[in-house]
Amino acid sequence: MRGFNVLLQKEFREAWRSWKFLWIPLVFALLGMSDPLTNYYMMDILNAVGNLPEGFEMLMPELMPVDLLQASIGQFQTIGLLVLMATFVGAISKERASGMATLLYVRPISFGAYFLSKFIVMSTVGFVSILAGFAASVYYTVVLYGTFEIGSLVASFFTYFSWLLFVLAVTLMMSATFKTIVATSCAFIVIFMGQMINAIVGTFWTVSPWKLPLYGVQLIRGTMEMSDFWWSLMMTIILTIVCISIGTFTMKKNASMTKI
Amino acid sequence: MTTLLQVTSLTKQFAGKVVVDGIDFTLAENTSTALIGPNGAGKTTTLSMLTGLLKPTSGIVKMLDGDLRSTIGFLPQFPQFHPWLSALEFTEMAAKLNGVPANKAKLEAQKTLEFVGLGNDINKKIATFSGGMKQRLGISQAIVHKPKLLLLDEPVSALDPVGRREVLDLLKDLQQETTILYSTHILNDAEEMTDQLLFLRDGKLVEQGTLHEVRERFDEPNYVVEFNTEEEADHFIQSEHIGKAKGRYVYIEIIDEKESMQELLHHLSNAPYKIRKVERQTASLEEIFMKVAKKI
Repeated sequence: MRGFNVLLQKEFREAWRSWKFLWIPLVFALLGMSDPLTNYYMMDILNAVGNLPEGFEMLMPELMPVDLLQASIGQFQTIGLLVLMATFVGAISKERASGMATLLYVRPISFGAYFLSKFIVMSTVGFVSILAGFAASVYYTVVLYGTFEIGSLVASFFTYFSWLLFVLAVTLMMSATFKTIVATSCAFIVIFMGQMINAIVGTFWTVSPWKLPLYGVQLIRGTMEMSDFWWSLMMTIILTIVCISIGTFTMKKNASMTKI
Repeated sequence: MTTLLQVTSLTKQFAGKVVVDGIDFTLAENTSTALIGPNGAGKTTTLSMLTGLLKPTSGIVKMLDGDLRSTIGFLPQFPQFHPWLSALEFTEMAAKLNGVPANKAKLEAQKTLEFVGLGNDINKKIATFSGGMKQRLGISQAIVHKPKLLLLDEPVSALDPVGRREVLDLLKDLQQETTILYSTHILNDAEEMTDQLLFLRDGKLVEQGTLHEVRERFDEPNYVVEFNTEEEADHFIQSEHIGKAKGRYVYIEIIDEKESMQELLHHLSNAPYKIRKVERQTASLEEIFMKVAKKI
């Protein structure tokens, strides 16, 4: 793994200096706090906006804390992933297209080290982001609705993080394999089409990475079929490793695509 | 002289189009070689294959002293840097990636940046650098690990005259202890610092040798006689039946050094007007370049 530490330092510097450690977690925090707040104050918001007919009555559903966390995760699944993937999908392909990769590729570096250093920094940004998102969501839920059991909440968090590692590995693999535009399309298709297919046939398709976000919530509810959970988790980890391996291979193979 | 790099029938095709066509050459240790040729001749492609970034379609690049990637330094024509790093951080990273021990890398990077004239800007972000500064930084990242072979793609083409002069002087300093191969289409530069010339045209190596050898082969020396007016020059040609006029100048081809000189002196002594200057002229590299570029 020649040059791993040096490359890792470079990637961290980049992420840090381009404010990625600040603005992406901020996006997740806003997403996380929006559901508990809007749901709780829905009646007040409606009243304040006005124009409700005289004698209007609305039955607000009785929400459990876990319902609000699930709603927040739903936000991360769409806008959150979009932000993360769009930020990182050029990590390798853009470096090649601009020619910045040239000065690194001519050195005796290991492509495995370079790929992993990028993956680790992305994962760290992802970790901090969902930590901020979960924290914001849980904080307002606890203040406004009720408490969580800490053990299952932590389990749920790490289940979601495993899913996020898979998303980032797919994103980076696409970036190593294709040019930015194609990589973006492919990564979005895999992740978001997967979610749609999961939404349609998910009842029958119980073992897949796309299941993990829901399973994390079910861990809190206590309704989880544990064998499905473990199989899905294992599959996700294996697929993540496969993506990293393919990505390292294609990154090396495509080294000559760098602009000279 | 010991050979450092040996290139044998190196060929590159892109989608069936031959860009580099079976070229052979060797680089001896601590010499500098200019790779010259018109645009599109395959200079950059050749250099890219030597760096290992581009796989040759066929042919062999053989480094006789260690592994290729760890013994070269490379400066692309338009080097691109990570703009959020400082010059020192980038150079230090370059050194470390090439195996300079971590405790020495920073010092080496500082020394190199001072050597290329960026001593006052080592902590500035690369994003704020001008074109000339980036070119210097490009050189510093290529030499910080003291490579045996330095490959430079058009190192001075993008610089203003002052920057060009300074970079050329830098390269001359490096010439003492490094093997340099650089491409250029600015022939004055090649004339100034080169032991070997490689002429590329349409991917083929059409001419090769030392500057002296190439010059011998292509030189068509002339005597140039300058008169005061065009009329005098014309009159001289008509009365003496010698040479070709071009304005106030008369060009006389030298066929045999001694005879031609005697003949010229004889004719000149007959001329009834003042002669401003008589000069022996040899072809500049530019003229040779034009001849090689057009040679079929």
